[in-house]
Amino acid sequence: MARVRLEHVTKRYDDQGDVVTAVDDMNLDIDHGEFICFVGPSGCGKSTTMETIAGLTIPTEGEIYIGDREVTNLPPKDRGIAMVFQNIALFPHMDVYDNISFGLRLRDYPQDEIDRRVERAADIVQLEGMLNRMPEEMSGGQRQRVAIARAIVREPDVFLMDEPLANLDAKLKVHMRTELQRLHKELDTTIIYVTHDQEEAMTLSDRIAVLDSGQLQQIDPPLTCYNEPDNLFVAGFIGSPSMNFVEGTITENALETPNFSLEFNPSSIDGVGVGDDVTLGIRPEDIYPGELKSEVPDPSGMITATTDILEPMGDEIFAYLLLGDGETSMSQELATNDQLLMSIDPDSDLEEDDEIGVVIDRRNVHLFDSATGEAIVHDLIPYEAEGTASSSEVESDD
Amino acid sequence: MSTETGRESRRSGALVSVMRWMENLSDTQYAYLLLVPVFVLLGVVALYPLLRTFELSLFALSADFSSTTFVGAGNYVELFTGGKNRYLPGGTTFLPEGFGLGALLNSALVVTIIFAVTSVLFETLIGLGQALILDQDFYGRRWIRAAIIIPWAVPVVIQGIIFFLMFNSNVGFLTPPLADLGLLAPTNTLNDTASATFIIIVADIWKTSAFMALLILAGLQSIDRGLYDVAKVAGATKWQQFKLITFPLILPTIGVAVLFRSVQAMRVYGIIDTVSSCTVVPSLSCMVVATFTTREGTSAAIAFVTAAIIGIVVMGLIVWQGEDAI
Amino acid sequence: MATPTDTQEQSSDGPLQRWTQSAIQNPDKVYQALFYAAMVFFLVTTLFPFYWLVVLAVTPEGNLLSGSFLPTVNLFGVSGTFPLPVPKGFNPGAFVTVFEQVPFHLYMLNSFALAVTTTVIVLFVASLAGYVFGRLRFPGRALLMLGILAISYFPPAAFVIPLFQAFAGNAPITIPFTSIPLFTPPRLLNTPGSMVLPFSALFMPLSIFILTTFYGQIPDGLEDAARVEGTTRLGALFRVIMPLSAPGVATAAVLTFIAVYNEYFFSSIMATSPEAAKWSPIVGGILSYQTQYTTQFNLMAAASIVGVLPVVILVIVAQERIVSGLTSGALKE
Repeated sequence: MARVRLEHVTKRYDDQGDVVTAVDDMNLDIDHGEFICFVGPSGCGKSTTMETIAGLTIPTEGEIYIGDREVTNLPPKDRGIAMVFQNIALFPHMDVYDNISFGLRLRDYPQDEIDRRVERAADIVQLEGMLNRMPEEMSGGQRQRVAIARAIVREPDVFLMDEPLANLDAKLKVHMRTELQRLHKELDTTIIYVTHDQEEAMTLSDRIAVLDSGQLQQIDPPLTCYNEPDNLFVAGFIGSPSMNFVEGTITENALETPNFSLEFNPSSIDGVGVGDDVTLGIRPEDIYPGELKSEVPDPSGMITATTDILEPMGDEIFAYLLLGDGETSMSQELATNDQLLMSIDPDSDLEEDDEIGVVIDRRNVHLFDSATGEAIVHDLIPYEAEGTASSSEVESDD
Repeated sequence: MSTETGRESRRSGALVSVMRWMENLSDTQYAYLLLVPVFVLLGVVALYPLLRTFELSLFALSADFSSTTFVGAGNYVELFTGGKNRYLPGGTTFLPEGFGLGALLNSALVVTIIFAVTSVLFETLIGLGQALILDQDFYGRRWIRAAIIIPWAVPVVIQGIIFFLMFNSNVGFLTPPLADLGLLAPTNTLNDTASATFIIIVADIWKTSAFMALLILAGLQSIDRGLYDVAKVAGATKWQQFKLITFPLILPTIGVAVLFRSVQAMRVYGIIDTVSSCTVVPSLSCMVVATFTTREGTSAAIAFVTAAIIGIVVMGLIVWQGEDAI
Repeated sequence: MATPTDTQEQSSDGPLQRWTQSAIQNPDKVYQALFYAAMVFFLVTTLFPFYWLVVLAVTPEGNLLSGSFLPTVNLFGVSGTFPLPVPKGFNPGAFVTVFEQVPFHLYMLNSFALAVTTTVIVLFVASLAGYVFGRLRFPGRALLMLGILAISYFPPAAFVIPLFQAFAGNAPITIPFTSIPLFTPPRLLNTPGSMVLPFSALFMPLSIFILTTFYGQIPDGLEDAARVEGTTRLGALFRVIMPLSAPGVATAAVLTFIAVYNEYFFSSIMATSPEAAKWSPIVGGILSYQTQYTTQFNLMAAASIVGVLPVVILVIVAQERIVSGLTSGALKE
């Protein structure tokens, strides 16, 4: 059983006199067999957090437990972990067999045991017949497999993977992603995986831990993070392309933004009061062309906009809409109040610079407190249908 | 996991706990721990002797040779006023006692400086020439390069013997032709101060130009070859290419090399001891060695002055070269 | 451009004029000629002294002092001095006698032993320091490196007096500027210790700078991987970083070996008499020929040739390492 727990883990660096807090009071409880992804932009502390679990960095404060043991001050070799590195980190002066067996040889395993384990690991990652090659003779994908085999021969309690696919090309990345999922199913071991690629995190993990500025923003299953982000940061980070954000103010019966208003009954929702400054979050797929209004369960009023740029992706088209007078800048900032990104059907005959009307699905919009960034609610129920109100506010773990 | 810990415990408990203690040190603590051997070695063999030398230089031997007394800067004062010259071997002096060539070459300080300046100057010029040749691509470059490096690797004592044998009054075939040119004394050449100084400088240039060449070659090879294409397109001649591209770009390298070599040249001893003798060609290190068993205060003062002069040379060159020198 | 008639005219001139003419048209030719002239000049000046050693070594002892090494040649009735020394007779026996007169092979063995011991010590200590300076960030790093550099600038003469007294082992070491005794050192004069210690300190800085450069280039991931796989930080240094920096380690080793083998100052002072049994290295061996067998110049030359052979071979085999070491280490300093 290898449950991994972090309690109040903090890591501060002294960078030429300035104290930099890389990890700030991190609390995590990871179950045995779970596949957890740490995601966040670069510099968010995800790699440092992983290094503290690995023992490559000793935290300034807090404790780390693996299984039943406190490992905070143990060196990496005594923690029962194995790690796959971003730059793959195969020892270039050793062949594949020596690389895979490195850890076992250090621990004086008997030769037949080493052979048996190396063979099995090579089998799992499909490296049979390549044991005598040198790393420089292998392709990127093969090296990655060697690195994974080197981790699995040790039969560790916990796998740590630090952006293991970051240096692979796009096609290989997708392929290795499925292999990692298969591996996880086969090994039934806890995997902690660091990535800056939220798509990787979405597809691989049981739960995603979103980090920013050294702090844990949210840890939840991928779809929960997507559908019910705890704050503006998670909302903006998870999902590609990003959620649209529009700033507005709550009035008696609507949310007023500079370019449109969204009717709802503020009194039916906890935490919202008239006069509050809020940020509205709308995912691109929750904006519909006006002619589909009848198919949207709880459509907003018609919003007029001008199409700016169209990006056909094949299975959908991303349309950048300019709100208001259409004279705004080209800025791509998330919170520009005058711009919306919507996803439309690829068969649409929409063209650039068309004037169109769009509606928003009010069941799938998010309100955030503009001051704190905290999520307030994840749908705006129209006042006619109060009965179905509160379900969205209940945090569901399953 | 259980198997791994099981194996771990087979090792002795004390070793494991020491290892664990070391692993948990912060980077700073670990860095200083690993530097302990360096500190100990340099402390014992360099720092302690240096302080001790300074201490010794403040004491003088009493008249009856039985004890030493504290004289403060007395040894240094005597050194610079000529009072110590009577302890120096063979009538040599520390500072020159006049401005004739004979008086100048009888002074350890002047000889050391003449040796350092002349040999480093010629080594730089010849080294630059050698480096420019080694920088070209030609068939057999490897062998030419080895041939040019070899003198640098020759032990000082053998370098000395070679030049001793070339100018020795019995077999030295080079003395008569050079004496005809007026460069050397025709007889007893190696006991003639001017001739021996000249020969020692030549010997040093022979051995150490290659070292200069290697340092300058490194600078040459780091020059972007594309710059020469640009110059060629612009119509620059080879000489202009050298003057406008090569030379300015390797100047910092030459600066570092000159610094390095000057410091080494100021220490000259072995070649003098082998080719001639310290009484004929006095250098500062020579004076230290000649007096340290009998007059340790004097010897220590000379040693410390040598160190100080080298310090001044280093500072001077660093100021001249700026930060590049380090 | 030259017309056909021009060429015809020129071809009737002498070869020198022809060459000059073509050189003017094609200045690269001049550079070519200068280049080869300079190359030959440097080759002759570097290698000539060795040739002179050979000439002396094979000249029979009886012929050494009679006549000139520059023979007079008579060419077409004009007599002149041949500009290159040639052996007066041929007797390679000196290469055997050189080991009989004094045990020169023992001096060389001493030199080897001192050089190897120093190299091992320097590599170990400089590896630790190279790891620290190349891979760890900590306060005081720049200052410490500067301090080590500064020590390498001091002349050996500034160390020799107290070291000689300490190695003589007559009196206890005291803390400088006090008379508080610390301990009485063992007598180290005429033992390897009295030379290996100063050599190690003297030649360590260069190795530290070379290894710092090389160790600093190993990616952090490899060290992390080794530690996760089961080594300590030191284990990672010796199992991964050092093997991967093999060229750098080899460079530091070669340069240290050559430096010790060539050393004169401490070698001549710490072995108080040039006796092989008292650990005197080749310095002692060669000097005993110079001081005891003052007219056997052929033996001095033969001993020098034998003594220089190991480093000549080392230079030819390891010249790449020497070049890269001097450039990476010395220039970083």
